[in-house]
Amino acid sequence: MEINYIGEELFWGKAGNFLLILAFTSALLSVVCYLFSTFAKSDTEISSWKKLARSSFYIHGISVLAVVALIFFLIHQHRFEYYYVWQHSSTILPLKYMWACFWEGQEGSFLLWTFWHAVLAFIIIRSAGKWEMPVLSIIMLVQVFLCSMVLGLQLGDVKIGSNPFILLRNHPDFASLPFIHMPDYLSKIKDGRGLNPLLQNYWMVIHPPTLFLGFASTVVPFAFGMAGLMKKNAREWIRPALPWTFFSIMILGTGILMGGAWAYEALSFGGFWAWDPVENASLVPWLTLVAAAHVMLINIKNGKALLSSFLLITFTFVLVLYSTFLTRSGILGDTSVHAFTDLGMTGQLLIYMLFFIVLAVWLIIKNYKIIKGNNEEEHLLSREFWMFIGALVLVISAVQIIFTTSLPVVNKLFDSNLAPPAEAISFYNSWQVPIASIIALLMAVGQFFKYRQTAPRDIYIKLLPSIILSLAAAICIHLVFDFARWQYVMLLFCAIFAFAANADYFIRIIKGKTSHSGASIAHMGIAFIMLGALISNAEQIVISRNNLNVDLGKDFPNQENILLYKGDTLPMGEYYIKYSGKEKEGVNIFYNIDYFKADHKSGKFNKEFTLKPIVQINERMGNVSEPATKRFLSRDIYTHITYANLENLDEHEKDNDYSEFKMHDVAVGDTLTASNALIVVEALNKNVDKKALLLNDNDIAVGVQLKVIDVNKSSKYVEPIFIIKGQTTYTKEAELELLGLRFSFNNILPESGKIQIGLSEKKNNSREFIIMKAIIFPQINILWTGCLLMIIGTWITIIKRRAQLKTVKS
Amino acid sequence: MKKTHIIGIIVIAVALGVILSTISSSSTYATFSEAQANPGATYHIVGKVNKTIPFEYNPEVNANIFGFHLVDNNGTEVNVVYNGAMPQDFERSEQIVVIGKMNEGSFHCKQILMKCPSKYNGNDADRKAASGA
Repeated sequence: MEINYIGEELFWGKAGNFLLILAFTSALLSVVCYLFSTFAKSDTEISSWKKLARSSFYIHGISVLAVVALIFFLIHQHRFEYYYVWQHSSTILPLKYMWACFWEGQEGSFLLWTFWHAVLAFIIIRSAGKWEMPVLSIIMLVQVFLCSMVLGLQLGDVKIGSNPFILLRNHPDFASLPFIHMPDYLSKIKDGRGLNPLLQNYWMVIHPPTLFLGFASTVVPFAFGMAGLMKKNAREWIRPALPWTFFSIMILGTGILMGGAWAYEALSFGGFWAWDPVENASLVPWLTLVAAAHVMLINIKNGKALLSSFLLITFTFVLVLYSTFLTRSGILGDTSVHAFTDLGMTGQLLIYMLFFIVLAVWLIIKNYKIIKGNNEEEHLLSREFWMFIGALVLVISAVQIIFTTSLPVVNKLFDSNLAPPAEAISFYNSWQVPIASIIALLMAVGQFFKYRQTAPRDIYIKLLPSIILSLAAAICIHLVFDFARWQYVMLLFCAIFAFAANADYFIRIIKGKTSHSGASIAHMGIAFIMLGALISNAEQIVISRNNLNVDLGKDFPNQENILLYKGDTLPMGEYYIKYSGKEKEGVNIFYNIDYFKADHKSGKFNKEFTLKPIVQINERMGNVSEPATKRFLSRDIYTHITYANLENLDEHEKDNDYSEFKMHDVAVGDTLTASNALIVVEALNKNVDKKALLLNDNDIAVGVQLKVIDVNKSSKYVEPIFIIKGQTTYTKEAELELLGLRFSFNNILPESGKIQIGLSEKKNNSREFIIMKAIIFPQINILWTGCLLMIIGTWITIIKRRAQLKTVKS
Repeated sequence: MKKTHIIGIIVIAVALGVILSTISSSSTYATFSEAQANPGATYHIVGKVNKTIPFEYNPEVNANIFGFHLVDNNGTEVNVVYNGAMPQDFERSEQIVVIGKMNEGSFHCKQILMKCPSKYNGNDADRKAASGA
């Protein structure tokens, strides 16, 4: 029997599915037409196929756009009958994070990727001229595969893709629940599961689209290369592909660095780069892409390195797919903190990847004769020789990273049982620091070589000032920081040298002319990134040393967490810190850590700043700690909570928050102790204002003045009152909320001359503490400056290469 | 010999070095009995936390020592000592990986990798919440 479900709007889902299928088929049609147009003989055939292909592309582009818009619409309208909307959004989510809901899930991120491809394809149609047909054939072929990822077709036992428009009641997670088959089930679903609070961060709004544009744009050089092979035109594709390659470098690089900035600011990795598999998977294609751009430049100059160009653009494209495979197949399992779980698309992703590997290899082998070119050796003192070496070193760096990251894949393939190196970060560093030094050296000297051949004397003379200057600078910096390893000192010198030499080239040789300065500025940027990463990482100081510790021997040297009671002040590094309380806002608990500096003249503590690290109550991922960082020009102070007791969070609103009153018989002048204060019984007050207590003149009311001295030696006064009204006696309590103390005055004992005082404490008074870690990252701003320079330099290069392309055309 | 050949040989040598060094410095996923047999070596051990035995964590005394009992995949239970603060939410973890070495009957670990059961994807708790139950 068909059930009529109440409140569902099924039209949108049907429209969405129709659009998905339309996007898929129009992409397929477009590939076929573009291929015919590529290989057609006569002009009329070419243009008629091209017309058809373009129309299919426009249908495809509009469908993709419509699908994206539709999902945003459903998220915005909170249509929780759709699983994707229920899974990733909720009604309380601010508008700005609705974007993030869209790409939180795998289906959304594939759609984002598809969307960027469509945008890039549109620009290429507009600008690529005769390259449009072959290039678009390849790009649309990629689109076919990407669209299939979100189709969600069930063909027999095989499921193709995961559909974003699946209904909640049809989703396997829900279909078995009885309530879902009631006609009014939708009214019982009050709200969606919501966006993971950890991702409710502005970085999540800008980082994924940037990274995916970076991923998407790697298809362009690849498509140009394959197009060249299809048209048996082995070299000519490089010029139009070059601006795109630099575009891809810029965007992908920005995306990766944004990821690092996000990790540094909002995740408690303890730094901006942790060699996490997901980070590595996006860095590796960037490295091969940079190598590709350099060998392509060599080819433009002297026609060599053609095979390398083809190989490197193919590697880059395939590595992007491979990184998608790594992060989405669930294969990383225990090795990564933020891998997606398997949605059953692993097989499909593998087919996707293998298809393009086979296609590229087949085209390269088939056209090997035209690729091979001449075998003449490059001169040892030529720029192209050293650029080529640089590209090779980048590839080695990429191989080292990807091989180590791929250990889980190796285990699967060879049925081995290898775990990642126990000290993963230092293992990566032990390879990547020397590699970075070599890259920095090559960046420094590269531009001082001329293409084809240079006189050796020229090079020495031109490089001498930079060498002397950077040697001096490196020695000075080493004297300040005293680096622990010679490898670091090596990298320090090389990075400064790379910066100095490129700055010198910029000033003395190209005389500051902007249009030619792209390479120098970008290289200066990379040198700064290396320098900033080196100093901030190698010289980071954990200032939250715990001195109470028992020594466990050198195997366990990291006593890096400090215990801080609420209200206590402890020395930490050059500061004194105090945990002064917490505030709860939604899912976030802010812990206020005040930083003081001691003024030795007056003996006073001056508050410098307050940091508010967060513990986030996250139902989905467990509770997450988010750091807070105080930024100075020359260093950052980074703080995060490693442990806090979250059991009594809401109790201060309840009365039973306080312990039972404990009675004390005391006389004036006596002292009592609470867990966080000293209490001195100062005097009795017989002149209590009875009217304020609504008492008659013949009632008796006596107060006792208590002086409460807290751990900071500041005192406060409270006065609980003892009352006799007729036959009954009672007390008017007094409270010190700040310290969580309550006082009562219960009796006067005339025989002993004492009085009876009750004391009650907040239950968590004795336990309220946090454990935190604080790290100083020196000179991290050099790194961020470097990022900016790298982006600017690459942008200048894009402009220059585009301008050259136009002059070649005309 | 041509320059290209020399470069080629160097590249192949470095690539081999990468692979060999990775394999030699990678540790292996193991069980407590293997770690016991070879006390000096570092192992990754996958196991489940025994939550019936209380955790030992007294931050007032030492915030950087945390002890618990872990049952490996063979069912061997060993006391694990971690040098660091008790990870937030540890009591909710299920399967974890500890990295470290055996030392006099207990496992000294340098790093704990936790995976939350619900990471990124729906689970039973979510469905219950949705059904309004």
